[in-house]
Amino acid sequence: MSNKKYWTSLDELNETPQYKEQASKEFNYEVDTNEGEENGGTNRRDFLKAMGFSVSVAALASACKIPTNKAIPYTIDTRKAVPEVVPGVADYFASTFCDGCDYVSVLVKTREGRPIKIEGNADAPLTLGGTSARAQASVLNLYDVTRLATPTIKNKKSDWKTVDAEITNKLSAITQSGGKIALVTGTIASPITKKAIEKFVAKYPSTTVVSYDAISNYATRKANQISLGSAIIPSINFDKADVIVGFNADFLGTGISSIENAKKYIATRVPSKEHPQMSRHHQFQSTMSMTGASADYRYPVNPSEEKQALINLLAAIGGTVTGVKSLADAKTNEGIAKVAKELLATKGKSVVLSGTNDLDIQLLVNAINGILGNYGSTIDTANTYNLKSGNDEALATLANDLKSGSYKGIILLGSNPIYNTPYSDIFKEAIKKAELSVSTADRTDESAQFCQYVCPNSNYLESWDIISPKTGCYGFVQPTIVTLFDTRQAQESLMLWAGDTTPIGTFVQSEIAALTGGSYQPGVQSGFFSNVSSVGGPSANVAATIAAVKTSIVAPKGMEVYFYEKVSIGDGAHANNPFLQELPDPIAKVTWDNYVCIPYSYAKEKGLDVMPADKRVPVAKVTLNGKTIELPVVVQFGQATNTIAIALGYGRERAGRAGDMVGKNVYSFVKSNNGIAAYTLDGATLELTDKMYELGLNQTYHTLMEDNKLPGKKLRYRGMVVKETTLKDFQKNENAGNEDREKIKEELHSLYDAYTPNDYSQGHHWGMSVDLNACIGCGACVVACSVENNVPVVGRRQVYRSQEMHWLRIDRYYNGNPDNPDVSFQPMMCQHCNNAPCENVCPVNATNHSSDGLNQMAYNRCIGTRYCANNCPYKVRRFNWLDYQGTDSFGKFNDGKRSFTDTEAQSYMFEDLTRMVLNPDVVTRTRGVIEKCSFCVQRIQEGKLNAKKEGRTLKDGEVRTACQTACPTNALIFGDQNNKESVLAKTFDKSGRNYFIFEEQHFLPAVGYQVKVRNKAEEPVRGFIQNEEI
Amino acid sequence: MHSCKSIRGILTLIALFLSLTLSTNSYSAVAVPDVNPSDAAAIDKAKQGMELFKANCTSCHAVDKKVVGPALAGVWDRWENSADIIAWVKNSQKLIASGHPYANKIFNEYNKSVMSAFPQLSDDQIINILTYVKAKSAGVALPFEAAPAPAAGTAPATSDKGSSDWYVYMLISFLLVLALLLFNVTSKLDKVIREKAGEKVEDVSLDKKIFNRKTFKVLLLIGSILLVFNIFNGAIDLGRSQGYEPDQPIKFSHALHVGQNKIECQYCHTAVEKSRHASIPGTQICMNCHKYVQQGPKYGKDEISKIYSYAGWDPDQQKFVKAPKNIEWVKIHNLPDHVYFNHSQHVKVGGVKCQTCHGKVEEYEVMKQFAPLSMGWCINCHRQTEVKFSENKYYSVFQKYQQELKKGTKAKVTVEDIGGTECQKCHY
Repeated sequence: MSNKKYWTSLDELNETPQYKEQASKEFNYEVDTNEGEENGGTNRRDFLKAMGFSVSVAALASACKIPTNKAIPYTIDTRKAVPEVVPGVADYFASTFCDGCDYVSVLVKTREGRPIKIEGNADAPLTLGGTSARAQASVLNLYDVTRLATPTIKNKKSDWKTVDAEITNKLSAITQSGGKIALVTGTIASPITKKAIEKFVAKYPSTTVVSYDAISNYATRKANQISLGSAIIPSINFDKADVIVGFNADFLGTGISSIENAKKYIATRVPSKEHPQMSRHHQFQSTMSMTGASADYRYPVNPSEEKQALINLLAAIGGTVTGVKSLADAKTNEGIAKVAKELLATKGKSVVLSGTNDLDIQLLVNAINGILGNYGSTIDTANTYNLKSGNDEALATLANDLKSGSYKGIILLGSNPIYNTPYSDIFKEAIKKAELSVSTADRTDESAQFCQYVCPNSNYLESWDIISPKTGCYGFVQPTIVTLFDTRQAQESLMLWAGDTTPIGTFVQSEIAALTGGSYQPGVQSGFFSNVSSVGGPSANVAATIAAVKTSIVAPKGMEVYFYEKVSIGDGAHANNPFLQELPDPIAKVTWDNYVCIPYSYAKEKGLDVMPADKRVPVAKVTLNGKTIELPVVVQFGQATNTIAIALGYGRERAGRAGDMVGKNVYSFVKSNNGIAAYTLDGATLELTDKMYELGLNQTYHTLMEDNKLPGKKLRYRGMVVKETTLKDFQKNENAGNEDREKIKEELHSLYDAYTPNDYSQGHHWGMSVDLNACIGCGACVVACSVENNVPVVGRRQVYRSQEMHWLRIDRYYNGNPDNPDVSFQPMMCQHCNNAPCENVCPVNATNHSSDGLNQMAYNRCIGTRYCANNCPYKVRRFNWLDYQGTDSFGKFNDGKRSFTDTEAQSYMFEDLTRMVLNPDVVTRTRGVIEKCSFCVQRIQEGKLNAKKEGRTLKDGEVRTACQTACPTNALIFGDQNNKESVLAKTFDKSGRNYFIFEEQHFLPAVGYQVKVRNKAEEPVRGFIQNEEI
Repeated sequence: MHSCKSIRGILTLIALFLSLTLSTNSYSAVAVPDVNPSDAAAIDKAKQGMELFKANCTSCHAVDKKVVGPALAGVWDRWENSADIIAWVKNSQKLIASGHPYANKIFNEYNKSVMSAFPQLSDDQIINILTYVKAKSAGVALPFEAAPAPAAGTAPATSDKGSSDWYVYMLISFLLVLALLLFNVTSKLDKVIREKAGEKVEDVSLDKKIFNRKTFKVLLLIGSILLVFNIFNGAIDLGRSQGYEPDQPIKFSHALHVGQNKIECQYCHTAVEKSRHASIPGTQICMNCHKYVQQGPKYGKDEISKIYSYAGWDPDQQKFVKAPKNIEWVKIHNLPDHVYFNHSQHVKVGGVKCQTCHGKVEEYEVMKQFAPLSMGWCINCHRQTEVKFSENKYYSVFQKYQQELKKGTKAKVTVEDIGGTECQKCHY
């Protein structure tokens, strides 16, 4: 097993000199962060001057006066019914996060009345406590300084009375004159919004309601209209499927209700000694997606080949279809035959799905599932989604009508068509010309800037609402804070304009009461109401479905382009959330940008000099439909040859300081295929320019795979970081892939023999177990960790300098054939080693060990030598190069923009408003100190204190770290190793899959990993091209 | 002459500066009124009267001012028959029903608001109350009403040790050196004058006598050691503020509320057993009592009316008319951001008395910082304090200690033993 080579980047794969140089360093940066020294750095005189100045400033500042602080009591207006708040104790309110695609039942943690953290609601159906990165980061959207504080008229501040009066006057005038009004919305999953729109349409009957999704699944609905007789999107029961076949379906990452699906998917993906079974997952994909990374078998197909592959598969399982033709790649053809064989063997217990918004493809998928009898078991057409309910055809028709100027009024209900549709110019012209144009965006976005009126919607944490993601399933939204600004819910605005003055709170409460029966309060308290019907519903009419398929395939010209959605940014609505911008893409590991993904074969063929080790990548000119954009190039392993991939959702111009001008907007290239949006193109050309781009990439350094510099010696390769095996081997031997552990345990030797081991014979001994099989790489834990622990956002420039601050990262490793490698995700945080190498080198004992097994970091003791980071084998220690959060700035430098004078660096969470999100139980770190994962020590202390107050022992599972609570797949388990009944202790002691990274070095880490098991019948392809010229 | 003048000037400046420094260091003295050597029995009666007055009457009556009911001064003159007053106090409604003219008059005058009946009071007790009221209205200094003694005796000896200390030392040493120099100058001048007068004078200059090389070196060494020591200590003390006793927006007296009225700390600091914060009460808690207690013994209505304005309470209408505002108290106990302290851990779990860290708050007229709040102070306590090991089941995870305690090989388990002095118990 140890001969298996894992790599994270092209340079590492090829062991280029740049890579070796870079791998030998702990700190990967060339640019000095000191400002004003372009010419040769600081000299002695400058140093003395600065020294003198700082000493005198410090002396002055300290000698003057200790600042007077205020102690403000928590005053309650006794005339109102106010819930009791104990200052210093968090309250949790059930609510629901939904952005039209992602649906998560959440608990909002508030402190002294201000929301500071989102947790999963474990009692709620569908998501069962899992969260997504977007839901985790959403709390910061509340404190976004870009949000409008008042309604505006022609981009000038106004008030609701004036705005309402003018809008209702104009609406009446338009209706009376027989003019038409367009109400353009995104997906409407809220029955409240539906009712508000109904009221509005009743008052103004000439209104046309058009709802669209920036990234659409309309073809699925349309295909089901043909196959099932109704335009639905069914639920997929991944937990009941033995074989899962995805065609460009990113159902774990960016698909509909991905957290719900991830929960179901992972139920059959983690084998144990008792149940050594797994479902098998095949993925046909144009570029490597997060879902594809979790698959057992991957087959790269070009976007134009997807339909052919499905036709072939349909024929192979016995469907009568014309147009069968072998694909160019023999391995893919073999794959289709193999998949067909497996599907036929598991009839009714399999599922085939595609994420491509193409009618023929969706019809083919329906036909295949119909033949396999999957309807009623794995495909539930009785419980269908209300998410992604946009209509592409209606949008295309609207665009056509707008061109002819037939709409006098345009109301954008939370939609931003100038940014996220290909009809940007048409909307711009129409909005400018319209008699009435209104947007309910919470900021003056790309579309709202041209609207006469902007009536800012409240954040979901300030709102009352009901979200119905599925039939019979309701999530309730309740305000957790009063509106920070003078904003109003869009539904309330619509109702007011329709002449209904019911306050939205009253309206939603009565709706919830009507839904749940009785009072609204129990519903709001639990946060959900579920009345789902049993699995079932109609099955696809196979004959009619196949008859509707156009099997002809137009051969693609030139290079093909695949537009995809990133897990973090999605369709770009949350682009101004710096947590999401800084969350690395699960696969490419790039932050703060979109880019052109090119296949490895292309890079090899063209002899591209691509060197991500120094993070400087060439910029390519991509010509699409005659238009040219420039984007940096990133080599993507596992991507189909002759295909390039570009992410949507970037290039915002009016999102706010974090989101503006990040990447390029490619929505304009989305073409209409008979009214259905197609996220693929052909005929593209790619041309490299001389320009180089500094990419905010964060995987090529912090490598664990190489030993640090051993002078004059070849880099020694460590193969024990990721361990994996096949299900076949695992079934034979529980220790498969982990056989070397016995030997390691026997031969355990230590560099630190003189080091007395810590005594954990009593009390607690904290530890964590990470299941490599369960981790799907979504990054919810990374964002949760940042929010919980006040980890600063540093910006693209700082990530490029390898100075990002994430305490928890997800390492992504490739192994196997670079054209189609296997992928492993490995969450990596401080391992809290018992024999911690970092502790021995600290000159001031700022990092040391606690009696309950924590590797402690005392920030105020740290003097910033960074010896510890240099000595950390796991590369998890982070240094505060700058004062990112304004912790130690003097008042007058606190200008609300940045806390430092480094002109290249940006500070993102520095305003008083955004700092409201900070966790008051965790200190913000100043410049010049090291920080790292603390195992959420504040949560440990809180858990212990609660147990002490109640005079009882601490229960297993009572203390949960932020990453653990965020994880949708339970990949992370925290617990007490000393509690032999704990899940963690049982995993450590009994699971054959458990191993520790670098165990042979005797660091005695407290974080164990579970061997990754792939459901492969045979040994996976281990072909590996060593030092081949590219 | 010129030099003389400048020296005098410098001396004046120094004296001024010194007096300023010393005056800022001294605490305001509390006047102790003279005790009148009068009739001990009468004083005792008045004292009983005062106690009854405070317990029963102050929510509606004051001596000199109209509150809910009339001012009591001169009440004995307003009633024709003092026996009627007693009847009125015991049950005013009965007296009104009997058709007593003055009783009816006063009842109607005060919008027919009913005075509570006090049948439990004896005639003597009522007389005692009136004795007290009369003495008060006459301005008789009552010995038992002397202002509460300042908490000087209880304040720790170290409380005076602040950042001002070290420069007083420095000033003194500077003055010493200056005095020596001046002495040197005068003796030299004296020598010159006497020499001019033809006298042969021995050199009395200190140069040789005191400032011979060896002594000077030793002095310099001691001086610099003292200086470094003082600067170091001073620097450590820069962030500390033991004894900090700032003026507050309302002159709230813990001595009155806790010491005299025996209100439990937790009545106002409600979160102390639940949260990291003890919590400072909002006006909603003040108003629980001050809806009724409208006048204080020291500042009368002045301070309580401030609460009303913060709370949005209208004492005339007897209801809240405005939204409450926050009272912005000056924070006394300031811990740095990098320190996590939790009240509930110490009070609820540890059973630490409030006074252990906050001093005898029940004697404080003005709240102040009692403890140094230094890390050494925290750590010391953690080293010495015994954990309630057998009482709390949580500690059963420390099996080894439990066994040792049982066997008797360990006398007690301190907070330090269970990791209470580790960095990340307080710093995270």
